[in-house]
Amino acid sequence: MSHLFEHNGAKGQGYSQPAPVLPATEITLPSGLSRKALPRWPRLSEPEMVRHYTWLSKRNFGIDTGFYPLGSCTMKHNPRVNEVIAQIPGIADIHPHQPEHHLQGLLSIFHEMQYMLEVCAGMDQVTLQPVAGAQGEFTAVRCIQEYFRLRGEVQRTKVIVPDSAHGTNPASAAMCGFEIVEIPSRTDGRIDLDALRAVADDTIAVMMITNPNTLGLFEEDILEASSIIHDVGGQMYYDGANFNAILGITSPGLMGFDAVHFNLHKTFSQPHGGGGPGSGPIGVKEHLAQFLPGPLVGKRAADDDELDAAVDENWYHWYQPTHSIGKVQQWHGNAGAIIRCWAYYRRYGRGLRTMSEHAVLNANYLRHAIHKATKEAGVDSLVVDGAEAKVAKHEFTLSLAPAKEAHGISAMDVAKGLLDMGYMAPTVYFPLVVPECMMVEPTETESKDTLDTFATHFAEVLQVDAETLHAAPITTPVRRVDEVYAARNLCLRHPYDDE
Amino acid sequence: MVDQLPNLGREAEMLAAMGMTSIEELFADIPSEVRMKDDLPLPPPQSEEEILSDARRLLGSNVALGERVSFLGAGLYRNYVPASVFQLVTRGEFLTAYTPYQPEVSQGMLQAMWEFQTLISELVGLPIANLSLYDGSTAAAEALTCSVRVHTRKATQKDTVYVSELTPPDRLSVMQNYCQGAEIKIKLLRHNDDGTLDMDSVSDAVGSCGVYVEQPNPLGLLDGGVTQLKEILGEHTALIVAVQPVSLGLVEAPGHYGADIVVGEGQPLGSPITGGGPIYGIFACSKPYLRLMPGRIVGRSIDVDGKTAYCLTLSTREQHIRRHRATSNICTNETLIALMGAMHMALLGPEGLYDLAVRNMTACIMGKQKLATIDGIRMPHSNGDHFNEFAIELPGDTKDCLEYLDSVGIVGGFNLSSWYPERTNWMLVTFTDQTQANHIDLLVRHLREWISTLEVAA
Repeated sequence: MSHLFEHNGAKGQGYSQPAPVLPATEITLPSGLSRKALPRWPRLSEPEMVRHYTWLSKRNFGIDTGFYPLGSCTMKHNPRVNEVIAQIPGIADIHPHQPEHHLQGLLSIFHEMQYMLEVCAGMDQVTLQPVAGAQGEFTAVRCIQEYFRLRGEVQRTKVIVPDSAHGTNPASAAMCGFEIVEIPSRTDGRIDLDALRAVADDTIAVMMITNPNTLGLFEEDILEASSIIHDVGGQMYYDGANFNAILGITSPGLMGFDAVHFNLHKTFSQPHGGGGPGSGPIGVKEHLAQFLPGPLVGKRAADDDELDAAVDENWYHWYQPTHSIGKVQQWHGNAGAIIRCWAYYRRYGRGLRTMSEHAVLNANYLRHAIHKATKEAGVDSLVVDGAEAKVAKHEFTLSLAPAKEAHGISAMDVAKGLLDMGYMAPTVYFPLVVPECMMVEPTETESKDTLDTFATHFAEVLQVDAETLHAAPITTPVRRVDEVYAARNLCLRHPYDDE
Repeated sequence: MVDQLPNLGREAEMLAAMGMTSIEELFADIPSEVRMKDDLPLPPPQSEEEILSDARRLLGSNVALGERVSFLGAGLYRNYVPASVFQLVTRGEFLTAYTPYQPEVSQGMLQAMWEFQTLISELVGLPIANLSLYDGSTAAAEALTCSVRVHTRKATQKDTVYVSELTPPDRLSVMQNYCQGAEIKIKLLRHNDDGTLDMDSVSDAVGSCGVYVEQPNPLGLLDGGVTQLKEILGEHTALIVAVQPVSLGLVEAPGHYGADIVVGEGQPLGSPITGGGPIYGIFACSKPYLRLMPGRIVGRSIDVDGKTAYCLTLSTREQHIRRHRATSNICTNETLIALMGAMHMALLGPEGLYDLAVRNMTACIMGKQKLATIDGIRMPHSNGDHFNEFAIELPGDTKDCLEYLDSVGIVGGFNLSSWYPERTNWMLVTFTDQTQANHIDLLVRHLREWISTLEVAA
């Protein structure tokens, strides 16, 4: 079967259900509300359903399938015990409106996660509510917006974003109602302090920036950038997409930031599930804490009559920040993701620094290995570093501009060639400041052998002639997909026979 | 950490290959002023076994609803998710993939999401669905901003939307956060004493950009009046209807009575409650909203050989292309949970959905019948039809009642005074496909006992 809607078996279903507690004849509905025709869903037995989705899974590439060096996405191994933990009824089968004494275990884990993220980021208060990185950005910028409103600084209508920033930064700030001021980066992707000074004035509310930047380079001038913004009364926002490079080594707090979001699905191994769920907690300095979305988790010594329900000597409780912006998700965020990431962080504990060291070691080693392999294969003239730098952090960029010029081989061609070699391709064409860009992030969970082999295969792809590469991939479930056709001939659902 | 880091012990070898002698050299570009001076103040690393043991102890101390008899819903509903859904969704090819940026090696998830779009489209009666938003509240909020983008130019009430006054405050708060940036005014639609929407209030919304109501409403009431809204509002105001998706096995699809956008908490199809997340938000719409809608969409296409292939499409609405002019900042969504939804829907089939809806609704009817026999309990909307839940008015304080029920092992309903402060002594009691007749008998018995303690005290 090639898709679900070709299954239209006998009336019935893939799992049998118990009888209702009353016959259906007891049901009455307001006039006009009785459904006239059931949805035209397929009819599958369980074996057919299992085979369909197993077949689909085999047409999908995950970290478990092979090396996934997708820059900016931190595709590290997802430990399996975390999935076992997430199925424990004490997380899977709990309701956010249950009373505190039903949820002391959950609240204690939330409290521990708030604390862990606070000390890693050098922030004073964390909320776990935002459910994705972009929502974390939005939430933090909203908090800063309310902070300025309360101070009467309503003239601060602008947010500064470097041109190399993730697209979510300007999109999130714009959703809050801010005007976006984009500033150019230097050719190495680093922040241009002169350009920053030129736009910094008392109309600036926030500067949003990631460090290491989107080229994988550390912004050595970050303290200077922070003081330029703080001198005009603005706030510094840290995009935590690249947090995997710096845990235990430096922190946004030390760099002068006022607010930060975390991508738990990147740094803390929440499986990304082909597009989500994620989790995007934010941390802020003290002066912004009262604006966070609530409730937050606090703790106090447990009273005697609470000890039966308590998990330790403390009582964990919800509380509302005094000037809270309200909610960004109706419940308590992606609690199931928080639990997985708690289980993940516990593996490292105070050793999280070793994780980041290995992420950076692997990235630099792979950069070195690729240059070595391409040199040995005589194709080193086709690929150059995206930016000059002695060391990169957790990821690095390459430019295929020379290959494009010499042979008409684009970064996309190389990406598709790598798919034929059994790899997920690195991120391509981002950041835009690097022509024919390929952004590579191996993460700390890949072995030296994998990195060596990938480097060799990368050099092999560069030896392939342009015509063959234009036709790649040929070994994948489908060959190059026509995205223009998809947009011009919109087919967003199964066309039933009568349509 | 040993089991997560394949290159532990190989650092020197790897550094030597780069002409380095210490890890420190890799961090030479980080100025000393911003370096962390001390170790992270965190516990020592643990093994998998120790973590699992701690998780079992801590999470085991939570009261899982399945251990008790529960009547708590209010937007999230206990359900049964078939075993095969969990087995399949944890396949690594689905679980550990990123967003399908390389469609040639992501056909499995892309096709599964295109199928999900079709399942939702059929369910709600609208031609277009995206592949999920974060939850019901963010889907509702995005629907409001979308309605303004589409309609404000021709609207006589510019940048204005109307929302049912019964909308739970936490959901409303999400809407306010999403709407304030575009300076969208949110006005409230009134309800009558019997719980139905006040049609005079609806006439006030004519000329606005969008109207948001829920079916069933937040008090579980099915409101036939909602089918009349589109006619009153006309084509220049978006009718946004939020649904409990399982109810659509019995209740007419909003797309068939004029809804322009349908949103909702997808959770009852495919996902356990999970403390409120990760779950998934449904977003479906009609054609005029397509190019201004939020979220990812999969389209069917062809590959270079003309073979059917799927890819993300209409990306020019999205943040990675359009940046600050994007229709939403959403990037990561809830794909994997939507996949669980698709699997559950595939197993149910049309008749299975009907059966599931019948189980939910008849449990609620039985609850109403049995609770009606209790002296002292009033049902403010007893004349209406309810799905999953209904409000009761108690002869005493709801908090007190819930504590009493808790002491006898029952997770009672939801204290409605936390949504509607003026409705003291109101409680929302919820019945799902997991509710059994003896559960309801137990609730009735203990409610009677609680009421008798009030009478003694009086």
